[in-house]
Amino acid sequence: MPKKDVPNEKRRRFLKGATFAGAAALAVPRGAAAQAPARNPVPLPNRVAETAPPAALEPLTLGKSGSDFMVDVIKSLGFEYMAANPASSFRGLHESLINYGGNKSPEFLTCSHEEISVAMGHGYFKIEGKPLCVFAHGAVGLQHATMALYNAWCDRVPVYMVIGNILDATMRRPGVEWNHTVQDAAAIVRDYTKWDDYPASLQHYAESSVRAYKIMMTPPHGSVVIVADATMQEDPIPENAKLRIPKLPQVALPQGDSAAVAETARLLVNAESPVIIADRYARTPTASKHLVALAEVLQCAIVDTSGRLNMPSRHPLNQSSRARGHVAQADLILGLEMSDFWNSLNSFKDGIHRTSRHIAKVNARTISIGCGDLYTKSNYQDFQRYADIDLAIAADAEATMPELIEAVKKLVNGEQKAAYEARGKKLAANHHADFERSRFDATFGWDDSPITTARLCAELWAQIRNEDWSLASPTSQVSYWPQRLWTMDKPYQFIGDGGGMGIGYAASASVGAALANRSHGRLTVALQPDGDLLMTIGVLWTAAHHKIPILSVMHNNRGYHQELMHVQRMADRHMRGIDRAHIGTTLRDPPIDYAKIAQGMGIVGIGPITDPKDLAPALKQGIALVKAGEPVLVDVVTQGR
Amino acid sequence: MKIVHAGFAVAFASFAFGACAQAQDAPKGDAAKGKQLFLADGCSYCHGTVGQGGGGRGPGLRIAQQPIPFAAFINQLRQPANEMPPYVEAVLSEQDVADIFAYIQALPPPPDLKSIGILAN
Repeated sequence: MPKKDVPNEKRRRFLKGATFAGAAALAVPRGAAAQAPARNPVPLPNRVAETAPPAALEPLTLGKSGSDFMVDVIKSLGFEYMAANPASSFRGLHESLINYGGNKSPEFLTCSHEEISVAMGHGYFKIEGKPLCVFAHGAVGLQHATMALYNAWCDRVPVYMVIGNILDATMRRPGVEWNHTVQDAAAIVRDYTKWDDYPASLQHYAESSVRAYKIMMTPPHGSVVIVADATMQEDPIPENAKLRIPKLPQVALPQGDSAAVAETARLLVNAESPVIIADRYARTPTASKHLVALAEVLQCAIVDTSGRLNMPSRHPLNQSSRARGHVAQADLILGLEMSDFWNSLNSFKDGIHRTSRHIAKVNARTISIGCGDLYTKSNYQDFQRYADIDLAIAADAEATMPELIEAVKKLVNGEQKAAYEARGKKLAANHHADFERSRFDATFGWDDSPITTARLCAELWAQIRNEDWSLASPTSQVSYWPQRLWTMDKPYQFIGDGGGMGIGYAASASVGAALANRSHGRLTVALQPDGDLLMTIGVLWTAAHHKIPILSVMHNNRGYHQELMHVQRMADRHMRGIDRAHIGTTLRDPPIDYAKIAQGMGIVGIGPITDPKDLAPALKQGIALVKAGEPVLVDVVTQGR
Repeated sequence: MKIVHAGFAVAFASFAFGACAQAQDAPKGDAAKGKQLFLADGCSYCHGTVGQGGGGRGPGLRIAQQPIPFAAFINQLRQPANEMPPYVEAVLSEQDVADIFAYIQALPPPPDLKSIGILAN
């Protein structure tokens, strides 16, 4: 803090003592002051108060308040950034962060919506492995943040929320401050956050803040909420306060029980057709290397569900295109951090009568290693249908992998090695055939307009393949063409989807990911669905304002295509034809000009591109600008999927 | 692969069945009208505007350049063997189906893979 802003100690102590009495003296006639002290006085019409000179003892400034200490605590946790839409209930924290804290570590990221703040944190964490701090109003701000927090919950990604609130009714300004106050502020998100607290003192705040961080970073990861009461933010630090910031421990990750890991190794080694399915398995760069090591020892099929980049896309043992076939043939299925194991073992028919069928062999053994079993909640059903599992190892799969690899290596004998090699050759041939098939399939509709998603992804790949790139958006809406055509072998090259599938994730999470990539000098690209961008379009301004370089390539199919297909299904079921299925599901009339919107937000907007021949020059132009530090949006009018 | 997105991919897989097909078993269809129907009646939602497919991670939805007998084609439309939505006579007449079939049959082959440099391995 600059020296000129700091009153001398003597005056500060004097002011602390004088605060309440002085404020009351200003607000009400002198005779009533003792009965009705008010910290934030109501500006009632009172001619005496309005015309009289201010009371001599009225404290107008103070040196240091609780929010300064709160910023000390936040800084101790190592956040690089704090994202927020400004709000009065954390005005004390806001001011302390930018002045007392110097707006560094964390730096304030200005967001136009709390859903953007949280989703940015979602994407940021999946690249950096560190959480983002988010400030929000306790009531309306957290209400805005809810869906993004739910996405993060489903995706097992932590975001550190600090929300403002005023519990003491006598301290609230009339009107809006009451509307923005809530008795149990975190209740609205308690079903899909890991922990919350409403500290009653600054020391309590410090301890709960550090506790929250430790809890969120212990797998399974989950968001936390700390309520920073506004009066505690704004009041002076009590004179006799002996505040200290507790230690943040190093968190040792939960590993699988040794006997269970040994049994898993034995079953894997002896299986004829083992399949390993990896979902949200990879947290760090070593995860993929370990999975490759295990796969290569066993020469077995790996199915990457694209929850993260678990297995290099071009590794010959990557059998993700044939997931169902391998599961159906397997005698052992090992799932790593599965969000929905049941769905991998069964098929489900979305007919008038919804039916399901077990596709795995009846006698196939199933093993899961994952943190999902360590922490589950009831209300929201993201835990998915109960799967028949023979051995459930409640542990962090990535942390367990080294022991599993060693156990497997010890058990494999020479005869098995030969059998494994033969198995691996067949799998490699499958992989090669699938890749060739994908390349061939990509040629269909090559010159068509709207542009095919295959052409879109092939053109983007051609421009980035020699860069250090990171794809920060989901790929399901572009038919997984990146996984089918690109070489992905680094964890930051793909970070999975939004978890809860709440629309609005991609735009903000990709900017959050780009923020993390910026310090590593990586080129961030996103395949941005149009409906998703419309949910949180203000994030374009945040990217512009904070100079976050990202190439956002629109997958602009001018509609909510998944929903269009759902309405088609219903119309066909009812034998009514589908000529009205576009009602409520399309964004065609008028077509939205995203390039112009981008320009209006202060970023470079190119397009709309409708002729596939114009794609390469537009992408090339965009990438040159992104490499110079600019965020760029290229609008491409595309086919549905 | 998240199956919630791949459901449609699974749904239409049987379109890609069928080997030995001849277009000559089909009633005469109007390819131009078939194109209109193909685009308007939702075929293109899942199969793409030129039957290229889409929606899933593996093969299955591509119907262009697939040898499909007309009988199998109309049977799949009326009584899908999988999750594809059914198209009854009242919604899509036999002549409409013939027109769509003609459109699919008339689709030109895609460009030679070798001619597309950026798809080179």
